[in-house]
Amino acid sequence: MNRQLVLLVSIQNLELQLRDAQDKDKAKELASMGFPLDEDKIKQDIEGLLAQVEPRHKGYYKRLKAKYDNPVVPVWDGHCTGCFANVPTSFSSVLHENKVMNCESCGRVLFEP
Amino acid sequence: MDIQEVLQLTSPNRFIPELEATDKEGVLAEMADALVADSPLRNKETILEMLKSREALGSTAVGPGVAFPHGRTLATQDLIIIVARSSRGVAFDSTDGGPTHLFFMLIAPPQDTGNQYIKSLAALTDKMQDDAVRDAALQAADYDSFCTVMTEA
Repeated sequence: MNRQLVLLVSIQNLELQLRDAQDKDKAKELASMGFPLDEDKIKQDIEGLLAQVEPRHKGYYKRLKAKYDNPVVPVWDGHCTGCFANVPTSFSSVLHENKVMNCESCGRVLFEP
Repeated sequence: MDIQEVLQLTSPNRFIPELEATDKEGVLAEMADALVADSPLRNKETILEMLKSREALGSTAVGPGVAFPHGRTLATQDLIIIVARSSRGVAFDSTDGGPTHLFFMLIAPPQDTGNQYIKSLAALTDKMQDDAVRDAALQAADYDSFCTVMTEA
């Protein structure tokens, strides 16, 4: 998979961790099991990954992030899971060409789960 | 959520009786291979990145000899659990400094109804507090015996 895409998916996955860290009940329960989530550390890690993203992708990601909670989404059954629009069958071959692809309908970054 | 419900999220194909890996990175990779082989997920790379990011926040080897690598990812729609064992033990940055022998990997979707992910993690960490269950789980001959051990005690 394109390294830039891996970074964008990883950032989005860290955003999910951050959401758990910011949910007081979940964070408390996880901490009680021995898995404390340090909100500041997660934010730092997100920034660290963002710093590795090429400027053109970073700018686009930030614009999407301002619009959607989930700017990066998987394709399931030929659909963008952000807006449920059909994704062209050429999607797989585009990914294999090592490119970052966006949904033609909503603009979200797409990846193969 | 009881342990029987948690075990329904595993399967014989999601059980690695003896890991070949001898280090932390290798364990995560081998378990991710099992995940990709027995789930709709095809992209091992993003799963590994997610697990490594989670480990960077603090080791998930919190039990005596047990680790629970876990995290949420966009890539799955359902909670998936992979179980693995290493009789020789692996250095997994455990809180007690000892080797880790038993691994429960939980891969959770972004949102899960009924908080299944955290409840499963709680049921497993609670079960692994019992020395006798932990030892028997390590000795169990196969997946079915493992499940019996986990549910009987």
